[in-house]
Parts: sequence; C-alpha cells; structure tokens
Amino acid sequence: MLSLSPRQLATQVLNFALVLSTAFMLWKGLSIASNSPSPIVVVLSGSMEPAFARGDLLFLWNRGLDTQIGEVVVYNVKGKDIPIVHRVVRRFGGGSTPLRLLTKGDNNAADDTELYARGQDFLNRKEDVIGSVVGFVPFVGYVTILLSEYPWLKQAMLGLMGVMVVLQRE
Amino acid sequence: MSATTKIAVQSLADLKNTTDDALPNYLTSIKFQRSHRLIDVRLALGYTAVILAGGLFYFDWKHGWEASKPYTGPAVAVYFALNAAFSYWMWMVEKGSIFEGERTTGKVGILSTSKKYDPTYYLTVTFTDPSGKTDTRDISAPFSRWFTSDGYFVAKPFQQWLASNVPGIGAADPQNIVEEIGRGSAAEETGGVSVEDMLRVAGVTGVAGATGAKTKAGGSGRKRKG
Repeated sequence: MLSLSPRQLATQVLNFALVLSTAFMLWKGLSIASNSPSPIVVVLSGSMEPAFARGDLLFLWNRGLDTQIGEVVVYNVKGKDIPIVHRVVRRFGGGSTPLRLLTKGDNNAADDTELYARGQDFLNRKEDVIGSVVGFVPFVGYVTILLSEYPWLKQAMLGLMGVMVVLQRE
Repeated sequence: MSATTKIAVQSLADLKNTTDDALPNYLTSIKFQRSHRLIDVRLALGYTAVILAGGLFYFDWKHGWEASKPYTGPAVAVYFALNAAFSYWMWMVEKGSIFEGERTTGKVGILSTSKKYDPTYYLTVTFTDPSGKTDTRDISAPFSRWFTSDGYFVAKPFQQWLASNVPGIGAADPQNIVEEIGRGSAAEETGGVSVEDMLRVAGVTGVAGATGAKTKAGGSGRKRKG
C-alpha cells in the first residue's frame, strides 16, 4: 500500500502506537495493583537454583510489608540497577521500627552482605525490596535474556513489528 | 490511484481495501462532499490515549517510580477509558463506514463488509434526501465484477453497479445507470464450459457438422448437471 491518504497513514501509525502504549499501560496498571515498580522480573542468575533457574519469569506482590523468613524477595541495591532475587533468612525489627531483612541465594555459600551497598548490612524492607515472589512461569523469560544480551535482536524485532503493522491492513 | 495498482486477487483484504478506496474517489467525482467526521473522532480518541501513555512514559523515565506513582493510577484508568471509547466508536458507531458525504440531492453513508472465503462485496447504503427521508439498502456484488482476473481494478463496472443499485447515487450520475440484462450470469455460463468440451466441439465439428452438433448438445447437458 504505497498510496495512502494522510488519514489512512495516521490510522496505520495509530494502530502501531496503540499496541505499544497498551502494553506499557497494562504494565503500569499491574505496577499499581501490585504496588511494585517492576511487577514482573526475569531471573538472570542461577543463585536460586533449584527453586528458580535462569530465564524464569517471576510475578511480584508488594502489598503487606511484613515479610517472613523463607519468602523469596526481589530487591535493588542502591547504586546498582540489577534486581536480585533471593530468599529471606533473617529478619530484624518490624512493628514500630523499620523491618530489616538479611537475604541469601539458595545456591550461594554465603549470605548477601557482600552484595549489599558499602556499609549496608541489611535490606530495608520498605526502601530496598520491590516485592515478594508470588508466582512464576519457568523459562519464558529467556527471550528477554536473549534480547538484553544481543541488543540488535531488540531493534530487529521492533522494526519487524513496525513494518508488519504498517503493511498489514485487514 | 488504486486503479493503477495491481493486487493479488487471492487476497480478500486487498480486494476489499482497493474497492473501499475507489468508492470515495467515485462519489467525490460526482460532487459528493466527503465528511471525515467518523474517522477524525476515532483518530482524536486514539491519539489522545497514545499521547497520555507517552507522557506517563516520559515522566516515569525522567523522575522515577516514586514520583510518578500518584499519577500512574489515574493515567492508567483514563487510558483504558479512552481505549474503550475508541473501540466502541470503531465497532458500534463506524461499523466499517467507508464513506460519509453530502450533496445538494441528499446525504449518503456507506458501510462495507466482506465475509471470509466469500469473494463478495457487501454494502449498506443509507441515503437521506433533503426532506429527511432515509432509504437504506443492502447491496452486494462479486468482486470479479470490477476486478480483472490479473488483479486490476476497473472503475466503470463498479460505478455502474453503484449508480444502478442506489437511486441516490444514480440520480447524481444518471449516465452510469445500466439495466440488468443478466450479463453477469451469461458470462458465468461461458466460464463453466471446460476447455476439453470446447476442444471436442471444435474437433468434431471440423470432421462432420451433424455429429458435432450432437456432441455440443451433450456437452452442455453434462455441464448443467454438474
């Protein structure tokens, strides 16, 4: 379709933009519902094996902040932007004092004190943790690992999507 | 524009889209003033939603989750409300409208549809004359009526079909009104004769006229049964 009127072109562009914006808004809706900035994460390391393997897709919930020992949480370390999925092995405080957590990967020999920011010995439940794992889908997240390890795949996919939406007119 | 483009005749979407594009060209050529109200409302709804999502994306990217949190909930709600309005408009109001227009003789609104595996063009034409009397009629015709077998759109038979079947359009373009004389069905009948039949008829006629006539009769009888 090379001969498109301005309105037809605007419609095609809109269709593509709606696909992207709807995906984004669904994600944001899920963020609001779960109160987590990142309600779905992909496991990037094998440190939680055999519970979770690389590529597993995890669903997070961040309401009810009284996290118990044994729960698997996802946290961000200040200054690093990669979320870490590990299990809570100790908790301190809670109630009137802020709840603090110590975490450890099931597959790691030592706890996470080494991973935390300099001078930090515990996670602050409210500030550092972005959610507890409430569900998972094995392996499907591997796509995003591939996409982040080979960035050109991302561009290729986006380009392909764009071309398809513009060319297709059902 | 579409008239010169070759399309794949196997593609129902191509057939329909090309015809949908040709119809406004014809109607504007016979002095119908096209109105873009329906599609403009749809575009406005859609782009408002997209701009809202884009704004949230930018704000979130610039200021982070904690800062954008209070706005995210309402923005998501408004976005999906706009999206619902967009879908409602498209499926319940537009319903496949391809043309809305006005002329001194009246107003016309046209919806087009096609069904899967059925190479027929269905139109619902609503014509409102200046006194407010509406005349709605459903008309349909096979796409083969205005597409050549190699995929070129031919305007004349299409215009004749519209002008002859919709009085409101016919009144605006009397020259294109043709009477139905069963040309379509006659053409189909010729198309039904197989090459073998034709060859046999030709061959036998070449040898002996009398036998040839018999074979010809037999051939067409077989065809009717099939």
